[in-house]
Amino acid sequence: MRQSRILSFFRAKEAGLVAVILVLGLLLTVFGGTVQRKVRDPKTGAVVSMVETNKFLQRQNLDIIFKHSSWTAIMAVGATALIISGGIDLSIGSIYCLAAVTGAMFLRWLGPEGPYPSASAAWVVPLGIIVTLLMGSLCGLANGLMIVGLRVHPFIVTLGTMSVFRGIAFVTTRAQAITDYPPEFGHFFRHTVFDFTLVPIVMVLLVAAAGSVFLRHTVTGRYVYAVGGSETASLFSGISVGRIRVAVFTIAGLAGGIAAIICLGIYGSADSSTGRSYELDVIAAAVVGGASLSGGRGSAIGAVLGALVIQLISNGILILGIDQNYTEIIKGAVIILAVVLDQLGASLNRRRLLKT
Amino acid sequence: MTAPILQFRGITKHFPGVTALADVSFDIAPGECHAIVGENGAGKSTLGKIVSGIHRADGGRILLRGREVAFRTPREATDAGVKVVHQELAFCPNLSVAENLCLGDMPRSRGRLCWRAMGERARKMLGQVGLDVDPWTVMGSLSTGQEQLAQIAAAVGGEADIIIMDEPTSSLSQAEAEKLFTLIEALNRDGITILYVSHRLEEIMRLTERVTVLRDGQYVETLVTSQTTTDEIVRLMIGRSVEDYFPEHVDRPPAEALLAVKGLTSPGKFRDVSFTIRSGEIVGLAGLVGAGRSEVARAIFGIDSFTEGSIDFGGRPLAIRSPRDAISQGIGLLPEDRKRQGLVLSMTCRENVSLSLLRRLKRLHLLDHRRDRALAEEYFDRLNVRAPDVDADIATLSGGNQQKLALAKWLAQQCRVLILDEPTRGVDIGAKVEIHSLIDRLATQGHGILLISSELPEILNLSTRIIVLADGHITGELARQEADQASLMRLMMNVNA
Repeated sequence: MRQSRILSFFRAKEAGLVAVILVLGLLLTVFGGTVQRKVRDPKTGAVVSMVETNKFLQRQNLDIIFKHSSWTAIMAVGATALIISGGIDLSIGSIYCLAAVTGAMFLRWLGPEGPYPSASAAWVVPLGIIVTLLMGSLCGLANGLMIVGLRVHPFIVTLGTMSVFRGIAFVTTRAQAITDYPPEFGHFFRHTVFDFTLVPIVMVLLVAAAGSVFLRHTVTGRYVYAVGGSETASLFSGISVGRIRVAVFTIAGLAGGIAAIICLGIYGSADSSTGRSYELDVIAAAVVGGASLSGGRGSAIGAVLGALVIQLISNGILILGIDQNYTEIIKGAVIILAVVLDQLGASLNRRRLLKT
Repeated sequence: MTAPILQFRGITKHFPGVTALADVSFDIAPGECHAIVGENGAGKSTLGKIVSGIHRADGGRILLRGREVAFRTPREATDAGVKVVHQELAFCPNLSVAENLCLGDMPRSRGRLCWRAMGERARKMLGQVGLDVDPWTVMGSLSTGQEQLAQIAAAVGGEADIIIMDEPTSSLSQAEAEKLFTLIEALNRDGITILYVSHRLEEIMRLTERVTVLRDGQYVETLVTSQTTTDEIVRLMIGRSVEDYFPEHVDRPPAEALLAVKGLTSPGKFRDVSFTIRSGEIVGLAGLVGAGRSEVARAIFGIDSFTEGSIDFGGRPLAIRSPRDAISQGIGLLPEDRKRQGLVLSMTCRENVSLSLLRRLKRLHLLDHRRDRALAEEYFDRLNVRAPDVDADIATLSGGNQQKLALAKWLAQQCRVLILDEPTRGVDIGAKVEIHSLIDRLATQGHGILLISSELPEILNLSTRIIVLADGHITGELARQEADQASLMRLMMNVNA
């Protein structure tokens, strides 16, 4: 039994994605070339010598990849749950922005420049995190309630809230960047171990694990797959389809809130243009990660791997010295290619099954 | 006799799990109105679909004016002068009536659509069938009857030699049907051949010259209408020997009432439907397609609402607002459309079996995969499901095995009342026998069963008693002893012969 589970993982599409990531990494290591890296004295910070290192396979570069894919990965886990249920969320970039701005304003209010400069960071920071998460979830809940309650297609509702949520952020910030919150917040998130920014990486792993447990090991998770597979059959099985749909939209919003926390920590500021067009990266990551837009298929691990693949492509263009202006073209082509290959694989698989 | 315009020679058609047509051969004379009759599932519609290029026959030949034809698309059939009026409506509801009527051949002038010509042509076509609507009305806003007339107009309007009408009156009012009959008589006078597929015998007696009877996909006989009677046609339609694969029926003493339906009414679907299901009883619900059988089942299960009436369960009135309420009371419904309603085809066998009782398979808030698997394995054994293993995708299973798992869902729930809507549709004969004996066994164990089926032998051999629905209301109730195919058929067609 255990062995068959390991075997089935290698047959699963996550294994294919891991292979793609390894191959991409190998190609970039071989063809990326080398770069001169400064070695500093740990005490004085003065440059002691120069060392030649691989351009791709070095700690700083890998850290950038992990850090920069972390918020996409987290939101992609939420979006994957949503896409599995047959939904879609175009407003996720705006939810991310509104949650970040709300969190930032709250933290500034309790921060050193606010009316309560003596407030202790020990409870200000957790409170800020909660407020940010709450804002994300509320936005998702609003999406879900409108879609189910008003019976409007998710594409339309979230297209609308995409601009409503960002508009709220714009009005409340008066188009200003919100900074000046407790420095402990940024320190915590920017803390590095062996040059790796630890907190975002750990958060991605936690979210992936939580998403995986939710989708595979909870009743609601199983219902999510059922609703996406067939809404009618789910209804005939006694599933409260509406409740499940509201729940996944809320989860997608919550993921937006979690990603917003990283944004606050890493960048130290938020404004109303934060996370513009992120929704497309997020949906792309989910789809490359194996979520089917027709519903019923996808996984949390796949979403994280999908986000990594997309980040690797951007990074590869940089490493290989390809003209930056081509980034968008290459990224778009790769997304289409990934889905075409996936469908090809699925139809081959079906044919194999029919033969036996 | 003149040379036949259309000849069927050994037409055979298989669908997964069933043989829809087996070696069917007969001729149609030019200019005649020829009826094709048979029970639900006898193969009438399939034959029409093969002639019109929607399905392709697996074997046999079709000769049109002596020349062999094999239409691959409806367009090819239309070009050869064969038009069809489908049972299901086939229009784009978002376009206007005129656009729909000209859909295959839009009038153009210098590359641009000629709206005026389109309107004129549509008006002429609508005039022919006596449908008085503006050609620029949106199709979707017409009533079902009007839409059906529009479809007949589309078929009649082109240059057709042969028109196939598949249950053309199924959604027409009496007055609309009357218009259609006049039209058919006029078309006949113009020398157009009509294939009239129907199970409404009065219409057939009135309109047609000859009647061909199909039964279980096989050709039975062609009769001259004026020399036969409805009784003879009914006898030929149902004339199979009663299959001996049904379980031995044992009459059980009447037990306590489980489900009592009183005066259930839903306008346009059914009215004043009352019956009781007792423990250990199999109550058959018979009726033609469209009589309201599935609608009653859906109302009891909480999918559709009803305006009047009540449902009692175990003597207490029930408020069922959703399937979830029904399930929690111990009512299960095996829906008629297995692939859309019964199963989630993108999931595995195991996931489908446990879908409706997952909440009970929790341990510390998480799914207990071991019990989930054990449950599926138990029903694989008990129902003799043939599949590689419980984690196989359910879509890869045969119809019979899929149906067993759709049933397993409710058995695992321990439902006391089971509503089975066409439990053996599209199921091979082996699985059919197994499902029949399972139904019987469930009744023995004290379940109450409402059996909806279009197959008369199934209803007759399994049911303790039979309720017959026609046009949404109960036309009769027969005890097992007094029910036979002829008496049922008469009640189903609501003729007092």
